Amino acid sequence: MGSKEFILKHSLGVRIFHYILVVSFVPLAFTGIVLYFKPYDELTMNLYMRIHVILGIVLTLDAIAFFLVGFERVVTFIKRMFTFSGDDVRWFTILGGYPQKFLLRKKVPVPPMGKYNSGQKVFGICVVVGGTILIVTGWALWAFPHILPVGMGLLFGNLHMIFGWILSIFLLVHIFLGIYMFDDFKAMFLHGMIPYGKAEETAPKWVKTELVKIENHV
Amino acid sequence: MIVLDKTYQKGEYPGVIAIDPGLCKGCDACRRHCPTGAITGMFGAVHSIDIAECINCGQCLINCPFGAPYETVDPIDMVISKLKDKSIMVVGIIAPAVRVAIGEEFGLPAGKLATKKMYGAMRKAGFEILDNNFAADLTIMEEGTEFIQRARHALFNEESEHGHIGPLPQFTSCCPAWVRFVELYYPVLLPNLSTAKSPQQMAGAVAKTYGAMHVWNKAPVKIFTVGIMPCTAKKFEASRPEFNSAYQYLAKEGKAGASASYPDVDAVLTTRDLSTVLKKMNIDLAHEKETDGGTLLAEYTGAGTIFGNTGGVMEAALRTAHKVLTGEEMKPLEFKKVRGFKGVKAVSVPLMDKKYDKKVTVNVAVVNGLRGNIKPVLDDVVQGRSPYHFIEVMNCPGGCVNGGGQPIQKNGSSWLEAAMPWFAWK
Amino acid sequence: MKKQTYQYAESPFNMSRREFITIGGIVIALLALPAVWIRSGIAKRNSYIRARTKGLYTDDTQSKVRVSHGNTAVSKMYTDFAQHPLSEISEELFHTHHYINRRAA
Repeated sequence: MGSKEFILKHSLGVRIFHYILVVSFVPLAFTGIVLYFKPYDELTMNLYMRIHVILGIVLTLDAIAFFLVGFERVVTFIKRMFTFSGDDVRWFTILGGYPQKFLLRKKVPVPPMGKYNSGQKVFGICVVVGGTILIVTGWALWAFPHILPVGMGLLFGNLHMIFGWILSIFLLVHIFLGIYMFDDFKAMFLHGMIPYGKAEETAPKWVKTELVKIENHV
Repeated sequence: MIVLDKTYQKGEYPGVIAIDPGLCKGCDACRRHCPTGAITGMFGAVHSIDIAECINCGQCLINCPFGAPYETVDPIDMVISKLKDKSIMVVGIIAPAVRVAIGEEFGLPAGKLATKKMYGAMRKAGFEILDNNFAADLTIMEEGTEFIQRARHALFNEESEHGHIGPLPQFTSCCPAWVRFVELYYPVLLPNLSTAKSPQQMAGAVAKTYGAMHVWNKAPVKIFTVGIMPCTAKKFEASRPEFNSAYQYLAKEGKAGASASYPDVDAVLTTRDLSTVLKKMNIDLAHEKETDGGTLLAEYTGAGTIFGNTGGVMEAALRTAHKVLTGEEMKPLEFKKVRGFKGVKAVSVPLMDKKYDKKVTVNVAVVNGLRGNIKPVLDDVVQGRSPYHFIEVMNCPGGCVNGGGQPIQKNGSSWLEAAMPWFAWK
Repeated sequence: MKKQTYQYAESPFNMSRREFITIGGIVIALLALPAVWIRSGIAKRNSYIRARTKGLYTDDTQSKVRVSHGNTAVSKMYTDFAQHPLSEISEELFHTHHYINRRAA
């Protein structure tokens, strides 16, 4: 396993899905928060709403397209997100070693992780569950607020707001760590590949049990 | 009362409904229910009600998912203090639609007919009962006679002994949101409105005259009339300055008992307000003893009680018109063709006018849900090409049972038309 | 510039067919359930109006007298007081001529 060897971590389809997710969700979160506080005048609030709606449509199409074209990847992702073990519990007790790394500049041993570490799995669940709820409630509130039973309308409004806030705040953590882990950043945003050594360090269970060697590589 | 807007007379409540900017999300749900487009504010921005265009119907209030619209007129504490004042007789004028909805505020299912428990609870609180269905029957007598007079004048050139006879088609006038709608948007049709007052206003007038003198033996000035209505616009209607007929009538004979005028209806509680009054007085309607209404002013017929449904006024009017014109009771009494939620229901009723020994066909129409349904009907009348002689109009979809003052049903929506998406943009 | 290449990739066989069907089925079911719930909520949205409407028609069929001209209390009120519909008293107390054009200056 030479130091110059690479693993394909994110295929092109996954990366495209993620690009569109980024350009739609980040401004969705921003406009959503502005819409929550409504600090500006009527015309400006309407503009923010229109942008929010358009981006919501983009996000929905992105999600549906990936769901249909990459259903197998979606199922794989969900399997990974919801598989927890004792290693994950131990990971949470030391918070993945991140606070020690940033605040104390100390490197502590971390339980062996799969492709996604425990924190990423929780974030993944939030994205899948929260994202679905945001999309469904968002469409219902845009298209049918006058027809939904009023109790359902209130529930959807509250769910949309709660998950909007949760994902927006969790997103900040995701962006920070996603850039900090720069090899992973390059994998997701550029070529999809991660150095073998780095993967062994951060995702040993994945490397050991899920990879195959490619003879004629692209 | 300060008049803020010139579409309100001095003394009227200007703007019974307002929107709380802290709760409004700008989702546009209210705007789609509003029959007059009185709600301003772009999609995504906080909305507000333009009181110059608002007809006080409350449909925005019962359909907002976030509960942003609220009532600016709250007589609850004032009514409770009057109930506790032993020198004053508080008369509750109970609309038909209240008895099938008040139970919902006390855990009973929607539509449960809770008349006797309602009487029991209200009498325990100190109300005297004047059932608005009594006044509804009275309204049929007055308005039905008026209609026959107009019809016979139009068909047979019959003249009246006194006064001017109005034109056809005749519109019902019991819905105060509808009346203000005509006053704002179709004033040319004001002569077509029936001159009969709504049952609420007839009830107030009869309470302080006939009720005071012949039933309760109480000085009119000591009677405090409270409309108990499924409707927010009734709060506006009761405040119309011309509705002090009892005072004017009594003052002519020196029996008014006061130098200052008093209204026919002193206060109006919505169904929701009544439940708050009862709860504040620790009265649980669901477990109250059933009682009767107390006096003959609570006596009503089946024709009066169906006033709360769209088509109910028309059906009640036809039952009496049939008897007056043909001499016989309508058989069957149910007139199902005017029932149901269709926006505009049109029926032709063939009748034999015994007085003139002539066959007549009365074309009637029933409109419910002003938004989307009324304009073509009115434009036809304005253009002189309406086929109808008598038109019942109720602003609220489904009729008063779905009024802006009714308990808000969590799994309900007033939208009667097909569930089509409507993507807000502006 | 040499194009970046990789020597390892994920095995395409990362779950059994049974696992795939189970998880896939759960995903689809969890998406379908809210859709069904929302559709039924929207379909039943007017049922409370129907219930209240039915309540009043029931009050009608249960009434002893079902025509307004048969209300003896109303008749008594006319006999004792207002005389008859459209009488002078009736006109004064039960009718209005005060509809106004709200836009008139």
